[in-house]
Parts: sequence; C-alpha cells; structure tokens
Amino acid sequence: MKLRILIADDHEVVRRGLCALLQAREGWEICAEAKDGREAVEKAAQLKPDVVILDVGMPNLNGLAATRQLTQHDPHCKVIVLTITDSDQVIREALDAGARGFVLKSDAARDLVSAVEALQRNRMFFTPRVNDMVLAGFLDRGHNGSSSEPPRLPKLTTREREVIQLLAEGKSSKEVACLLNLSTKTAETHRSNIMRKLGFHSIRDLVVYAVKNNIIQVQVPAPFQNPTEGSAA
Amino acid sequence: MTVRILVVDDHPVVRHGLRTLLGAHPEWEIIDEAADGFEAVDKADRLKPDVVVLDITMPKMSGLEACRLIRKSTPEAEILMVTQHDSPHMMREAMEAGARGYVVKSNASRDLLAAVEAVSQHMPFTALNQRSAESD
Repeated sequence: MKLRILIADDHEVVRRGLCALLQAREGWEICAEAKDGREAVEKAAQLKPDVVILDVGMPNLNGLAATRQLTQHDPHCKVIVLTITDSDQVIREALDAGARGFVLKSDAARDLVSAVEALQRNRMFFTPRVNDMVLAGFLDRGHNGSSSEPPRLPKLTTREREVIQLLAEGKSSKEVACLLNLSTKTAETHRSNIMRKLGFHSIRDLVVYAVKNNIIQVQVPAPFQNPTEGSAA
Repeated sequence: MTVRILVVDDHPVVRHGLRTLLGAHPEWEIIDEAADGFEAVDKADRLKPDVVVLDITMPKMSGLEACRLIRKSTPEAEILMVTQHDSPHMMREAMEAGARGYVVKSNASRDLLAAVEAVSQHMPFTALNQRSAESD
C-alpha cells in the first residue's frame, strides 16, 4: 500500500518542487495539495493522509496553527513542519503543536525524504539545531529541577489564534466571521477577548504581536535584507 | 525554437519546482542552476543562456544587483524575475534594473511558461497577483 502524503504551501512552485521530490520515491504518492492551512486541515479530515507536510508561513491559517488543529483532532497525525527559520520560538511552537518532523526549507531537497521515512517508521525527524535545543532543555531540567523556558504566552484558544492571524492580515471582523463561519458578533467577541488577554488597545499592537510570534510573516524587500540571510522562497 | 535557460534561486526545492514547470515545454533546456546572485552572474557570463529565471531575495547578492550585472556582461540574455514580492514598487525596480519580465511565485504555474515564451522573444511580460498587466 502506498504512503499517502498531503502537501501544503502557498507557493505553487514550491509545491511542484516538493511533489517532484517525493513522487520520485517508489511507494509514495501525493494524495492532495493545499495552498493554506485551512485547506490542509479540511483535506486532511477528508483524505486521512499518512503524512502531512505544512509550510509555516501560509495565509488564512499558518502551518503551526494548522498543525495544532490536526493533532488536536487526531493525536496520531504525522506532521512535518517546513520553515524558513529554526528560531527557538518557531521550534518551541512546532513541538508544542505536535509536529513530529521539522525541516528547513533551504534543506528540504536534502532532508525531506529522510524526514518522511522517519515518520513512516513512527520516528521523529528534527534538524540538528532542534535536537540540540530539545537536549539542552532536557539537561537543564535535569540539573535545575525546573525548565529554563521563557514565560509562556497568554493562553489563547485555537479559535483565538486563527482570529489573530486573520485580523493581523488586515481582515475586518465581518470578513473573519465569514471565513470562520461565525456570526459577526461572535467574531467581535473573539477580538475583544484577544485584546483583553494580551492587554492590547489597537490593531497595530496585534499586528506587531503576530509578526513577533511568527503568526504572520512579512516580506522584506531584497535591498533592505541582511545579505547573509536567505529568502522566504 | 530551443531556449536555453539558467534557473537561479537560493532554495533547491524551488529550483526543483521551476525545473518541473519549465520541463513541460519540450524545446526548452535548463542549462544550469545557480543558488545566489554571484553564481548567477558568473554562470550567465560563461554559459550565455537565452533566458535567466532569477529570484530577487537571495544571499550574497540580490537578484536586482545580479540583474544589473548580467545586463552589462551578457546583454543578449533576457531576464525574467520570479519572486515572492507581489508589489508594483518591486516590479518597477526589477524592470529598471533591466529585467524583461516579472512573475510572482505564487502564480508561477499560471504565468511562468507564457513569461519565458515572451521574454525569449524579447517581449516584456509582467504580471502581479490579481491585477495582471500582461503584454501581448
């Protein structure tokens, strides 16, 4: 029986590259593609893929929020997160959301097949930096008897995380309500609860929070980008 | 008509995707790949491609700078920017740097073949997301 893989990335050209890479492997097939996290969650519910590969930076519902929804719905769901950065925060969020694999986009051509193979064997796959971070956290707990993790972010519900992304992407409460199949009043209640929990007074605060916490990603024009950094593909 | 193409992007998986899309055209040949602006300028100079498919945001040297240098060193090569930047401002900068075409990555499957076809015949092709302004 073939291993069925769902791929989600908002860039068609990346999906084509991932498909070509994975379909070359005998016994693997791409059962579906999605262009954002919401579509990925819907298609995963319908098609029950063996492995889901999710880009982190996607519109409407980012890959980390989609991972959280997939693993909440099915704790055995095998998700590989594809990311342009392995910052501590993205790693922590991905692990917390239940991802079993973590691959840098820049290394996808080298690591993705190994990652899928690992998950196929019910193992996990992480970049060396993730492994170091997990080990350091484990050792730190062992020595100090407590975790050295930074203070946790205010507890937000899955729905509130979705609403934050949509508001930070510039959508109105009415548009949020429409996208999430809610009444406008409910969307506005979510918005008020989020602002209260986070202690914010303006949408500007919310956008800054969303960028800082990788809920949305912003494009940095090339001339202003650090020349040592890669692109977001 | 055979079109010799140099593909430039810092992410191997994107180069893989571009190869797959361009491979749909039987007469086009991917002559090589480059992972940054420096490599692109060097390979364009040595290999003399007909078309350079060039990302903008890359390490070491951006696609805009590479575009300017390729226009000087290899003026016969036409440059098609394929970028994540869905922005009229960035498109203007690219065209001012000497690009003949501009395609947004999220629309690559829709626009890439038509864009390479156009620029290989020295015709402009620009298309942003939603609002497209294609040349004929």
